[in-house]
Amino acid sequence: MPLNAELEGKAYPAISFTVDEDHVRRFAEAIGDDGTLVPPTFATVPEILSGLDRVVADEDLGMDFTRVVHGDEEFEWRRPVRVGEALRVQTVIESIRVKGSHEFLVLRTDMDDEDGGTVVVARSTMIVRGGS
Amino acid sequence: MTLRFEDLAPGMQIPPLAKVVTREDVEAYARASGDDNPLHLDEGFARSVGFPGVIAHGMFTMAHLASCLVAWLGDATALKRLRAQFRAPVFMGETIVATGTVRSLDPETHRAVLEVWVTVERDGVTEYPIKRSEAEIQLG
Repeated sequence: MPLNAELEGKAYPAISFTVDEDHVRRFAEAIGDDGTLVPPTFATVPEILSGLDRVVADEDLGMDFTRVVHGDEEFEWRRPVRVGEALRVQTVIESIRVKGSHEFLVLRTDMDDEDGGTVVVARSTMIVRGGS
Repeated sequence: MTLRFEDLAPGMQIPPLAKVVTREDVEAYARASGDDNPLHLDEGFARSVGFPGVIAHGMFTMAHLASCLVAWLGDATALKRLRAQFRAPVFMGETIVATGTVRSLDPETHRAVLEVWVTVERDGVTEYPIKRSEAEIQLG
């Protein structure tokens, strides 16, 4: 079943994500960092909660998670993420495209601080592999 | 030790950083990141969708690439942008190697654009779990 391309541009309600010290430490340990700073790609955690988890559960979109692979990821860090801060995280479906038998879903996630300043912008391309 | 903008030159190689990918690390990553796709955890599921076994998260490999860059920079805050294009799977027990080169420098802003990638040697062939992608740094 193809993705519902009419959902292009859909914005999911923003979530609040607090950067928890213990969570950062567990993430750092898993990737082999010493954890003295928040690892740059820790931004994937709020991104998944705001974006991937929502699109997977979105019945209007019709995405078969068993056929999804991660195609592309980009982070733009305007400033480092800090332990203890609360981020406002919002994901938009930027585009839905078909190429051959595959579908490409691009999500853009903005992570802002309490003053409204941008902290991280993430862009993630999920590939829904076609039947073979 | 923090890298300075003056230390950079176009074509300079970023010191490669190697890591053996273990099942324990990938399972810990799944728990810590919240990405519990069975493709990374369940051998039976991975085989059912055409892989010989479970594969590491693309983001696990990207995290290693970021670690490689931060180790070289000596300062995580110098990393401003990183893109990763995932193009090959990584299986348990394999060794991933992250590296890159300096592509261009902007003396006005002290920013530099890097070309970065991650390889794995498999059956005598070099595969690119992260194909040549772009990063941007800013140094003092």
